[in-house]
Amino acid sequence: MRMAAGTEDRERGADLAEAAPIIRANGLSVYYGTKQVLSDVTLDFPSNKVTAIIGPSGCGKSTLLRCFNRMNDLIPNFNMTGQILFDGVDLYGPGVDSTEIRYQVGMVFQRPNPFPKSIFDNVAFGPKINGYEGKLDELVEQSLRRAALWEEVKDRLKSSALALSGGQQQRLCIARALAVHPRVILMDEPCSALDPFATLAIEELMRELSEDYSIIIVTHNMQQAARASDYTAFLMGNEERIGELIEFGETRQITTNPEDERTEAYITGRFG
Amino acid sequence: MVRADFDRNLKTLQDDLISLGSMVEKAVTKSLIGLKNRDLQLSRQVVEEDDYIDQQRYQLEEQCIDLIATQQPIAIDLRTLMAVLHIATELERMGDYAEGIAKISIMMGDEPPLKPLIDIPRMAEKATTMLQHSLDALVNRDEAAALEVRNADDEVDDLYEQIYRELLTYMIDDPSTIQRATYLLWVAHDLERIADRATNIAERVIFLVTGRLTGVNVSQY
Repeated sequence: MRMAAGTEDRERGADLAEAAPIIRANGLSVYYGTKQVLSDVTLDFPSNKVTAIIGPSGCGKSTLLRCFNRMNDLIPNFNMTGQILFDGVDLYGPGVDSTEIRYQVGMVFQRPNPFPKSIFDNVAFGPKINGYEGKLDELVEQSLRRAALWEEVKDRLKSSALALSGGQQQRLCIARALAVHPRVILMDEPCSALDPFATLAIEELMRELSEDYSIIIVTHNMQQAARASDYTAFLMGNEERIGELIEFGETRQITTNPEDERTEAYITGRFG
Repeated sequence: MVRADFDRNLKTLQDDLISLGSMVEKAVTKSLIGLKNRDLQLSRQVVEEDDYIDQQRYQLEEQCIDLIATQQPIAIDLRTLMAVLHIATELERMGDYAEGIAKISIMMGDEPPLKPLIDIPRMAEKATTMLQHSLDALVNRDEAAALEVRNADDEVDDLYEQIYRELLTYMIDDPSTIQRATYLLWVAHDLERIADRATNIAERVIFLVTGRLTGVNVSQY
């Protein structure tokens, strides 16, 4: 298994190698028009783990995340070189349906974005367009339970999702993502609009979900990465402000003893 | 400079730790002078001053807890705070050994020591040098210097063994010396423990610099 440059021969590589990566970025460079935003990122995301992507603003964290479910396809002038493998399959290969990818690789955004529909319909939305043939009631309940929201909303499934609190709306969005049975959940700053209590609830949920799903989270909050993730990738812009992978490792190692001094300076708040 | 205030606090913390270290070093030296010169007033002073060492240790501990609670330190900052916490505890215990030596000196009262004190002051000198070097290694973040402190512990252990054997022969030869021999054996044991704790400090310095937690205390006692 190839890891970040300079870290291949670390002992911890053995731990990482035990689980096959669910997503692998291989020499990934990304451009918006002529502007390059990511340079040669090679990184494996382990299955059934929470991996945090951290780094200063503008280092390409969200861009990297959006590559994993082809969300960048929607951005004009997006262009990339290198490869992204999802469970061994080239995500950008010929014949790959980006809509299908987005069912398998779900996404939760910064601000909770429930549809202006009922709680039930929000969760049932994806499966319905997918032509789900099982029992929708059961699927909705199961998804809401997995998102730790069921007990709070079971008596008002027909009420508008917009009446929920921010933290509940975010968990609803997670339930909505879970309803289409993804394998990976991408989270882009999922707690930035939430209060501390709701934030802890989402972090707790990520831990639980990682038993069945692989989670990749972009966060500005170093403490959140420390609390909630198993692995951490640190990205930073170089002199030309093109994002590069500086260090990848177990979160425990990154937070106690990072190898690269730039990682250390960033996570201890000396810059960024 | 981001986190300038935090950096200042960390610097103050280290300065306070070093000054606690030099207090402890003085206590050890004074306890030996009191013992050797039969200066009971000086011995009593060491006992009294130990309270101040204890207070300083708790103050350092509180400063660490405040910084952990308010700054959420990680990486080098976390290692620094954990190292300071451990080292403060080690220093406080070393102060207790100095106090122990002073108390023995007081217990001996007017009695002359069993034998002229030669190896015991040598042990004390080595142990205090180890303490100085471990604190220098801390200030300079010097892993190699910290490793040397560890090696120096062997010499102290050898001296301790030598003193132990010597005192044992006194006791076998003449049981009436048992009490006075036991006093000196306690002193030697306290010094041996001081040297061990200096190696513990050196281990914390290695942890601070490298992030490696190693049980490198090779003392045979």
